[in-house]
Amino acid sequence: MHEPSAQYKKRLLRIKVNGRWREDAVADGCMLVDYLRDTAGLTGVKTGCDGGECGACTVLLDGLPVLACVTLAVRCEGRSVETIEGLAAQGRPSRLQQAFHEKLGAQCGYCTPGMVMASEALLRRNPTPTDDEIRAALAGNLCRCTGYVKIIESVKAVAGLAP
Amino acid sequence: MSAPTDISDFSIGKPVRRSEDAALIQGRGRYSDDIAVDGQAFGAVVRSRYAHGRLRSVNIEAAKGMPGVLAIYTAADLAAYVAPRSPFALKSIDGSPMLGATTATFAKDKVRFVGDPIALVVAESEILAREAAEAVEANIEPLPAVTDARAAAAPGAPQIYDDIPGNLPLHTHFGDIDKVTDAFSRAAHVARLRLVSNRVVVAAMEPRAALFEYDPASERFTAHIQSQGVFGMRNNLAAAMGVPPEKMRVLTGQVGGSFGMKGVVFPEYMALLHAARDLKRPVKWSEQRTESFVSDHQGRDHDIDAELALAADGTFLALRMSGYGNIGAYVTPFGAMIAALNIHRNAQSVYRTPLIEMHMRCMLTNTPPIGAYRGAGRPEGNYIMERMVEEAARISGIDPIDLRRRNHIRPEQIPFATGIGTIYDSGDFTGLLDEAIEAADWNGYAQRKAESVARGKLRGRGIGQYLEITAPPTNELGKIDFDEDGGVTITTGTLDFGQGHATTFAQVLVDKLGIPFDRIRVVQGDSDRVTIGGGTGGSKSIMASGAAIVEAGDKVIEAGKLAASHLLEAAVSDIVFSRGVFSVAGTDRQIGVLELARRLRVATGLPTDCPVTLNAVHVHKASPSAYPNGCHIAEVEVDPDTGTVAVVRYTMTNDFGTVVNPMIVAGQAHGGVMQGVGQALMERVVFDRDGQILTGSFTDYALPRASEAPPFVIRNRPTIATTNPLGAKGCGEAGCAGALPAVMNALVDALKPCGVTHVNMPATPEVVWRLANGKQARAMD
Repeated sequence: MHEPSAQYKKRLLRIKVNGRWREDAVADGCMLVDYLRDTAGLTGVKTGCDGGECGACTVLLDGLPVLACVTLAVRCEGRSVETIEGLAAQGRPSRLQQAFHEKLGAQCGYCTPGMVMASEALLRRNPTPTDDEIRAALAGNLCRCTGYVKIIESVKAVAGLAP
Repeated sequence: MSAPTDISDFSIGKPVRRSEDAALIQGRGRYSDDIAVDGQAFGAVVRSRYAHGRLRSVNIEAAKGMPGVLAIYTAADLAAYVAPRSPFALKSIDGSPMLGATTATFAKDKVRFVGDPIALVVAESEILAREAAEAVEANIEPLPAVTDARAAAAPGAPQIYDDIPGNLPLHTHFGDIDKVTDAFSRAAHVARLRLVSNRVVVAAMEPRAALFEYDPASERFTAHIQSQGVFGMRNNLAAAMGVPPEKMRVLTGQVGGSFGMKGVVFPEYMALLHAARDLKRPVKWSEQRTESFVSDHQGRDHDIDAELALAADGTFLALRMSGYGNIGAYVTPFGAMIAALNIHRNAQSVYRTPLIEMHMRCMLTNTPPIGAYRGAGRPEGNYIMERMVEEAARISGIDPIDLRRRNHIRPEQIPFATGIGTIYDSGDFTGLLDEAIEAADWNGYAQRKAESVARGKLRGRGIGQYLEITAPPTNELGKIDFDEDGGVTITTGTLDFGQGHATTFAQVLVDKLGIPFDRIRVVQGDSDRVTIGGGTGGSKSIMASGAAIVEAGDKVIEAGKLAASHLLEAAVSDIVFSRGVFSVAGTDRQIGVLELARRLRVATGLPTDCPVTLNAVHVHKASPSAYPNGCHIAEVEVDPDTGTVAVVRYTMTNDFGTVVNPMIVAGQAHGGVMQGVGQALMERVVFDRDGQILTGSFTDYALPRASEAPPFVIRNRPTIATTNPLGAKGCGEAGCAGALPAVMNALVDALKPCGVTHVNMPATPEVVWRLANGKQARAMD
């Protein structure tokens, strides 16, 4: 959606994606979301708005949540990006992902990758968030299906547990 | 992912964790925009920037020469295609059929709303297509625009179509004028309110997207596209393109929310299919969010004067409604039906009200077309009735709970034939109200209110009792296949867009045939496999697919008994089936259903009357509409300094008949309520005088967020539906129906100390602040 037009120059991007270094030729104007979806093939990163309004593309950049749709890919040179596809260990969903399963944190699933990554970021900086802290941390991630209740319950279910 | 244990842990009534989740929580969902094929080109749509104007010419020359551009199509290229008609044969008072039921694909001589498609640019990449689309020059001579339904009906209003006088394609009247007039003349009290159901955007989190392919050798299209049922979408796309249904294949993967919107054929689809055939290349398209704000069908937008006549003892004598439905710039398959039919029928709700009259003008305006949005008239009808009940209580001095009880259809009156022609087969409306009151801690309210007041807040509570009429009946496929790998595949023509059908339908089959949950797959998204299907919509999937699966299961059992009689060497009449096992009565000879299916696959030399397979194909014949109902109680707290309204407690008692999966049903209820809270307190599509949308992004349009989610208490209080084999009633839209009146009744209650007796939706902070501080409400437009 935000892919670069022909006039952009390309440069080599060295970036760690879900724990693995990779190098790709990337146009200056390419947004991280398009790099991840189209070049790295990580279609779990979703696009739900035209820039910074819905949170569906939330990924972790050096451990902090960023919106991949308003982040230039080339600004991630030498940095580490984590997406929803990188949370599972040895093919098993993480505790947080499992909680979204146990508590019905997903309905249509479209906002889910962003919700999970925003929650993951919250839990890394605050392993025992209160309900209000969870609501505040997820206030930038829109969901039209769940009414948010069970998403909040999902995060609450792993609060205080080791990751 | 849960450890498989006893089969009964996965049967009807259990909160089985969803089989859909493994893909979704790990980013492995396959939504339309996730699909890419070799050689695909990309489409971008040129849209009108004017709400109303004469389209003098479309200059594509500059755009045509831009890098990567493959083709540009305008209305002239698409003249052969026809948008599908409304499936409803609606007629105006004078007997004339609804006008404007078919529309052009792209704007031809006129543009009629901001976003009206004018041209499709196809290029080698998405960005090249978008850049070229910017260079297409649409020469439009602007005309005065009208966006409000009442204004569109006024003398001298801009005329949007030459052949639809007064912008009025449909003018309906239902009900007996003489009897209703007589009832009002006898009334001791008449409650009157003007009730606005504000226009909202659907805002499915996944924007619309599609990939269309065409195979010249077989002359066949393949459409990877969102839908609410592939069978209907295939037929509608084929009809639109003028090809036989077998020349169209529809594949729907994951759908990121739809709420009624993605089930219809949009004009873009015809242009993209045309492009795929013309260019002999796959063509992909995905809309941007700003585009979806003007090109997706929108919801609601009704403005209705309602009157409720009461006898001295509070008995409802008649409900009279007269109003305007804004249906946007084009007649869509559902827009007029929602305004004209569904509001009227659902306003009956849980009450005996013998007479309901409705006079509705469905108005064309220079706004995006209205389509189905969660409930599609059901929430609006219930909202009207419950606001009228509260207003009637206020003017008559009768306690609102007593007033409801006096007018409820009572259990001993069921089956109850209503004046609008429905027959309620089950329900206990007073019992449900009473339980909701208890669950909401009604008696503890005074203390909670005192605490709010002590903090300088206003507090109110409101009841929203509701009853919905689910979608009219359709035939539905229930196909059960015992696969080579030992799994079992259910094929059915409803379609999941977040509801958890694969889990729910598998539970039905676990219950019916005793097949382990983790062996069951559900297929819905391939029109080559779904040979008939009514699709999802109007809260009917569990009645339609559920019944189809139960009845197909009966066929499996019947064939299985015959087959088992041969393998177990007993008379058919001696074979019994229970919990997945066929056995010879009174003996220990038995065979499991999966083993029996396997034996039949490999067996040779069986007698000719022995079935060769347990596979069953069944078409369920149309269970009638069901009547899900319930009672919601909201408590709100108003901050008079800022006008913000917080929903601080929310209680629901629902009668959804048989609940297959209470966890999934709770999720449906939560989501529906939150959409209702959004419409009541936050959401509204706003146009300026020229018809430009002022709320065209999530920055400008307020969608509920996690910070606004109330705490919920939810209870099921089922009475079993008698009209379908499962006894289910459907739950998908109920949350909205209860939430609109519960929240607005609570808000009016909270503002009572300020002298407020009614507030129209959306009660935004500005509206509430003015009311709480004795200021005049500002005119809406």
